[in-house]
Amino acid sequence: MRPTDDPLFVFLLDQMNRKGPVLIAVGAVVAIFLGCRKDEALPPGGVEGGTPVSPVVLDLGSVPYPTLSQYHFFEGLMADLEPATGVLPYTPITPAFGDYAEKYRFVWMPAGQKASYVADGQALEFPEGAVLIKTAFYPKVLPTLERRILDTRLMIRKGGTWVFAEYVWNEEQTEAYLDMQGSNVPLTWADENGLPHDVAFRIPSEGECIACHSRYDERVPIGPKPQNLNTVRQYPEGPMNQLAKWVAAGYLESGYPAAIETVAAWDDPQESLERRVRAYLDMNCSHCHNEGGFCGYRPMRFSWSESADPAALGVCIPPDDPFAQGVDYIVHAGNANRSMLYYRLSSTEEAVRMPLLERTLRHEEAIQLVADWINSMPEPCP
Amino acid sequence: MKKPVLTLAMGLLAWQAQAQGTCATAVPIQLGNYYVTAIDGSQAPTTICTGDAVVGQHGRWYSYTADQDTSITITTDLPQNAGGDTRVHVYTGSCGNLVCQAGDDDSGSGYLSITTFVVEAGTTYIIAFDDRWNANGFTFSIQNAAPPPPVNGFIAQAVPITGSAYCIVDMNADGLDDAVSVSSTVININYQNAGGGFTNQQHTTTPADYLPSWSLCAGDLDGNGYNDLVYAGSGLTFMLANNDGTGYTELSHPQYIFCQRSNLVDINNDGLLDAFSCHDVQPNVYYINNGNGTWTWHQGGLGDQPDGGNYGSIWIDYNNDGNLDMFIAKCRGGNSPASIDELWRNNGDGTFTNVASAANGLADFQQSWSSAWADFDNDGDMDVMIGASSFSGGGHKLMRNDGTTFTNITAGSGFDLFNGTSIEFIARDFDNDGYVDVLGGGGLMHNNGDMTFTLTTVPCSNGPTGDVNNDGFVDVQNNNTVYLNAGNENNWVKVITQGTLSNKNGIGARVEVTTPAGTQIRDIVSGDGFRYMSTLTAMFGLGTQESITSITVRWPSGLVDVVNSPDINSTITIVENGTTTGVSSVPATALSLFPSPAHNTLHITGPRDLAGSRITILDATGKTVALVPAVQGAIDVESLMPGLYMLRIEGPSGTATGKFIKE
Repeated sequence: MRPTDDPLFVFLLDQMNRKGPVLIAVGAVVAIFLGCRKDEALPPGGVEGGTPVSPVVLDLGSVPYPTLSQYHFFEGLMADLEPATGVLPYTPITPAFGDYAEKYRFVWMPAGQKASYVADGQALEFPEGAVLIKTAFYPKVLPTLERRILDTRLMIRKGGTWVFAEYVWNEEQTEAYLDMQGSNVPLTWADENGLPHDVAFRIPSEGECIACHSRYDERVPIGPKPQNLNTVRQYPEGPMNQLAKWVAAGYLESGYPAAIETVAAWDDPQESLERRVRAYLDMNCSHCHNEGGFCGYRPMRFSWSESADPAALGVCIPPDDPFAQGVDYIVHAGNANRSMLYYRLSSTEEAVRMPLLERTLRHEEAIQLVADWINSMPEPCP
Repeated sequence: MKKPVLTLAMGLLAWQAQAQGTCATAVPIQLGNYYVTAIDGSQAPTTICTGDAVVGQHGRWYSYTADQDTSITITTDLPQNAGGDTRVHVYTGSCGNLVCQAGDDDSGSGYLSITTFVVEAGTTYIIAFDDRWNANGFTFSIQNAAPPPPVNGFIAQAVPITGSAYCIVDMNADGLDDAVSVSSTVININYQNAGGGFTNQQHTTTPADYLPSWSLCAGDLDGNGYNDLVYAGSGLTFMLANNDGTGYTELSHPQYIFCQRSNLVDINNDGLLDAFSCHDVQPNVYYINNGNGTWTWHQGGLGDQPDGGNYGSIWIDYNNDGNLDMFIAKCRGGNSPASIDELWRNNGDGTFTNVASAANGLADFQQSWSSAWADFDNDGDMDVMIGASSFSGGGHKLMRNDGTTFTNITAGSGFDLFNGTSIEFIARDFDNDGYVDVLGGGGLMHNNGDMTFTLTTVPCSNGPTGDVNNDGFVDVQNNNTVYLNAGNENNWVKVITQGTLSNKNGIGARVEVTTPAGTQIRDIVSGDGFRYMSTLTAMFGLGTQESITSITVRWPSGLVDVVNSPDINSTITIVENGTTTGVSSVPATALSLFPSPAHNTLHITGPRDLAGSRITILDATGKTVALVPAVQGAIDVESLMPGLYMLRIEGPSGTATGKFIKE
């Protein structure tokens, strides 16, 4: 998603237009606060000596809380999703597809705690108490065409691992409740052209969370990798590189490499088809199709750092299980129809579709991208 | 070399180019060669007669009316089409109700198509090409042909299906396997006719909450004499047959399950079938049958790895203690403990213990989705071939059962050299030579009888198996093609188990067939391999043996029935009553008893003439309580003590049984 398409950015711009000076002033105060808080033990919330303090309440002994509101991640009406002090928005360069739901992502860390760089393609090493906050919504849901927030997913760094906490929003949009059992929310959303689409939006159970967020049997975040963050994002205070912003906010150790192998934006027409496909596969597929991933036993290696090799993408490699008649290679060069990758990305059948989780609808733009990429390959498979 | 008349026909058809665009405007053709300019007709065939169900965008439609009983070949595998890519479907019926008769995608060279099928004089066959792969023009030929010969021992026959064709099992309790396919609201059954062929019937259901996306299993959950279906998707849906097998009631359970292999099995051995499902991302789950139309959800005790990895469960008795054990083929990347296979020993007291270990060779990181269990060496215990879905965690494993331990005998067995991988491996004796073979990984591993296996080519891939032409040889279904096993001279016997104290299907029963050559064993299983449901009839190949000494059934209840000197090349129905008998080889038919509980009078219904029948009431231990006369299909039961009873009718048309409760 390009920054200008980011609904949060649009929202913030809108806010700035209306009360810009106030927000900018707040931002400046936040910067001051963030700059000095390292040395102070501050109570949660309120103002200490005129400096705003993050109101977020995180008692690691009692998380996950029964309700989302107990964390105080958001200011004002919770459904406005306006981040509280210390709750920093971020946006992956190529975001994961989730049945066309839009998502806001935030990070919060306890006072004085910082993440550190590990590798371009590995999630940052987060400190104890760090929280990743992702909220999914459709901007227009029938019949009222109002925004409907579905869930807020937390990953809380605790005891050297990650705790998953799934909060399901009520219909009144006043509260979200902890529910690790999973559920389906049937609704009809309208796209930007006003066309209605039915979806049974899947709110994952804990097992489904783990399926994607695990590597070598350890729980891991997917989005916040340097390769996915290393781009300029719009903030209320102005544009800034996200990694630099994290450093400025006190959330990332400085000193990470100056040159970072950075993913393409999957929908950037200036990029090559191959780089766009690789970026898409990295974000949507590589957590499983990776050494140590859920489906690491299949031959594909979809992470950005490995997928420059055609064999890692399955080009002219037969699938382990050729269950679809006539679909004879993972990627049949020059022939998308004969490619298992295209076949499974195109399917909505439960046991055929890829990814198996997080998708029940066809991602039409991505399917077209993959078809264009495969069909543009000049050399046929031997 | 083209004949002039065909050139003329081509010109005529080219002139009619727009007329072939829909089924309704299908162009009648004669035998000959025809040039298709492009697949550009507005109607794409949506009834797909090839394995891949993806529908194209456009079609070209023709019709051919046979003038004699013969066979026809339609082919695009012609020199002028080199490099082309075609797909063809052949139907009978009407445009509003097309029924697949044949079809082909890639049987020709490259991606060209060839299909040969039997035609009847006077029948019109609708032929449709589609642009599933591309829309380019090509030439096709339609010619008389010899009847399609068996390909590597199988004859392909098209059957109409709806949705997922995952099941071969007897649905109308006539002792013959039927081919079942299902969609959300349709149960499509090709009922096997007693004289051969199928009668297709579609039963409408309320929409299933879950489709059998991951697997399907079948059995008589409510014990009414008709098999029910279980769809395993993101939860379990039961489709419960009514009391004459003519309609189905949907029961979908509310719990989310990332299902994989599902099984019907009497987990707590109370005589009622329970439903088990592997869970991909959590501990396994099961529904215990309360016997009153309700089921109680359980999670835990049968594979508790927190993040799952459970793919292929199968319930067999590995240690011959009469208690049903469960093996789980497991898979997960990253050397996760979730990928370590588990063997759950049934302790006989309602508890299970995982006895897979590094020491017995069952607990390792091999990536498997299913396992094929059978007594491959006919020494009286169940061996296992654990098939690799990927070689990244190790190869196929052939494990010989040495009683309670296992020995890895893969080296030199042929499985060490077999490079086909699959999520599906099943054990069947395809050539009825008395040694069980393994189907999976794109080939058939033929058991040489000495624990070595030889790869043979078969035209089918894995699918549901059973005997859909009642010839005693295992057939395989792949979508809308049934691969009929062409058979050979070997003898065989089939055994249908009918439980009374045990569950109605006798699932979990151990069946032993003894001939002068030795004893073979089968366990009755609902749900093996990964996805499909195969016949509940135990099928035994006898090789050249001309007689059977005895058939023994060891029921889950502990009762044992022995049938001495049954006929070879026949189907033997054995009803659980704990006796040694000879029995009729006529299949038992369904019997419905009501009311149950009964007070004074018990009514008998079913497709059966009671005249000349012997009617016996047996108690829960299988002991005969009374021989009773039937009056107008009603029996006086007033004098019986309260309890569970079995009623058995033996007559000219065979044996039938039913259970009832006396209050």
